[in-house]
Amino acid sequence: MFKKVTKGMAVFALGATILAGCSSGGEDADGKVTLELFSNKAESIDTYKGLITEFEKQNPDIKIKLDAPPEAETVLKTRLTKNDMPDIMSIAGNATYGELGRAGVLHDFTDSKILKTVQPSYVDMVGRLVGTEEEGVFGLPYATNANTVIYNKQKFEELGLEVPKTWDEFIAVLDKAKAAGEIPIYFTLKDAWTGMIAWNSLGANIAGEDFAEKKNAGKTTFVESYDEVADKMQTLIQYGHKDNLGVAYGDGNNAFASGKGVMYIQGNWAIPEILKANPDMELGVFPMPVNNDPAQNKLVSGVDVLLTMSEDTEHEEEAMKFIEFMMSKDTAKRYIDEQKAFSAIQDVFQEDLVFEGIKTNFETGAITSFPDHYYPAGMGAENLVQEFFIEQKKDAFLKKLDKEWEKVQNR
Amino acid sequence: MKKKNSVFLTIAIPALLLFFIFHTYPTLQGIFYSFTDWKGYGNWDFVGLKNYLNVFKDDRALDAYGFTFKFAIISTILVNIFSLLVAMGLNSKIKFQKTLRAIYFLPYILSILIVGFIFSFIFTHFLPGIGESLGIEALSKNILGDPKLAWIGIVVVAVWQSVAFNTILYLAGLVTISEDLYEAASIDGAGIWTKFWKITFPLIAPFFTINMVLAMKGFLMVFDQIVALTGGGPGKSTESISLLIYRGGFEGGEFAYQSANAVIYFVVIVIISVVQLKFLEKREAEN
Repeated sequence: MFKKVTKGMAVFALGATILAGCSSGGEDADGKVTLELFSNKAESIDTYKGLITEFEKQNPDIKIKLDAPPEAETVLKTRLTKNDMPDIMSIAGNATYGELGRAGVLHDFTDSKILKTVQPSYVDMVGRLVGTEEEGVFGLPYATNANTVIYNKQKFEELGLEVPKTWDEFIAVLDKAKAAGEIPIYFTLKDAWTGMIAWNSLGANIAGEDFAEKKNAGKTTFVESYDEVADKMQTLIQYGHKDNLGVAYGDGNNAFASGKGVMYIQGNWAIPEILKANPDMELGVFPMPVNNDPAQNKLVSGVDVLLTMSEDTEHEEEAMKFIEFMMSKDTAKRYIDEQKAFSAIQDVFQEDLVFEGIKTNFETGAITSFPDHYYPAGMGAENLVQEFFIEQKKDAFLKKLDKEWEKVQNR
Repeated sequence: MKKKNSVFLTIAIPALLLFFIFHTYPTLQGIFYSFTDWKGYGNWDFVGLKNYLNVFKDDRALDAYGFTFKFAIISTILVNIFSLLVAMGLNSKIKFQKTLRAIYFLPYILSILIVGFIFSFIFTHFLPGIGESLGIEALSKNILGDPKLAWIGIVVVAVWQSVAFNTILYLAGLVTISEDLYEAASIDGAGIWTKFWKITFPLIAPFFTINMVLAMKGFLMVFDQIVALTGGGPGKSTESISLLIYRGGFEGGEFAYQSANAVIYFVVIVIISVVQLKFLEKREAEN
């Protein structure tokens, strides 16, 4: 009897070791160091594979294992719970990064000389995500994005339209396109997050970048600061097609590529997808004009990818080597060319002609950050905005945003 | 006897341990954390019943409860009607009976998520295409994009898929009924309708009970279908409780708060199942 039970226990113990084996990494038998690179972007897998091959060629002692799971942020938070952070992380500069920074699990790069190669405005941007609770720089901004209006150049020419610089001009362009029987803006609101692109451009330029700080300090509310934003959202939705809420992002990319719609409110990340569906299409981009004073219209740009490493990685030196390789000018240039992104590294510019319309914004620094990255994650702002598109009740909607924000903060 | 016991123990103890470690322990942990302000990581403090009180004040959670119950009740009724009909059809003397049984069971084998994506395609492209070419205005839009209609899409997919499993259960019940009863009833001059209400339905009552309870419990936990079809939208019109718990808990950093929500929901489901069982078993006895 006793023997049988011990046997059972042995089987069980074996099972447990197999399970535990899943999370082991570190040094291989042949002396090579294996590092895990965790990425939250499915779009950049191929680019990363190419870069890793090159890095491994230069550093034969180090092996990089790429891990880019779906629902990456949820996976990362779950692993945080288990204290099992990847060695190197390539994640977005959003609320999740802020939480990780505050949780004190990321390496502090404050004294690292590599930090000096990054544009300071982006370092500030990710710093604000972490807040003042924790001192330090926990991530190195790498690639950035742009929240734009993409337009069909051919249609602009046919209709005799010009890129608008002010809100009134923008509306005039939309009216003209509508009068010509075209769909002025192709909305894809079945995916709630796509509504946040217009929202962010409007919010950042009207309510200001520091809205979240003020809101948390009790100095402002959505009702006070977002009234004009909501009005302009309601104006924009009238220039959509007849099934604004029935089309999802993926379908929208294909529809826009096939010539439906004159403008498409999407970030630079949609461009490779559109060109995949129609490689001959001529596209242009411009920052959404929000105010009637062109000097006040800034481009919303965020940190799409930042590089960081776990504070208690066993191979700090090797991980740093990889990050330094990634942040060298040549690699950074290759990354943004393949990904049609922008670089946070100084003196590395995106030269693709598609981006002509926003080039000056990057050169002069007329850039602001995504307001919704600073909202409490639990409030689910995108579904609330989607609901607003359906119900169109401005006052109730703004009050609800305030209420949800406070409710989540109270938990 | 002694030998039998030790065999039993070697099988049961590891199973019990595994069940405890992977099932009971996390549940207890969840209940424990529902009394704290844990975000899923980092430091935490006890907050007592604050999370529970907040759930009752949270209209987002209440809306989710409303939607989930509406969805679960309608789907449970539809699934039971359809699966009983299909089961009776498959139980009658028809050709290719076994092949048909296999075909009807197919939806249950497919992954819910994949079925959801396929239906999403049908609702987005196929149905509006037909609607447009026939000139039917109501059909030419994606119903998943309409907050008043999106739930119908989810009901269609959920019912289509779970009819298969409930059909199997009803079939198992139907084969237990002896042919003699129907023959005797025919001699007495009973019609199809009378035979169904007086013989079939009373005799499969236990199967009806278990089907109602299982279907209701399953639909109350609806998750995959919604992720694949609407993601809780448009707006919050199809946000089920499981989805809310998952989103808020794992993505929103409200682990403790949503744990409280989950504990409440667990209690609600247990109560509903027990009440259902009691009520339906009483009905069985009366028949």
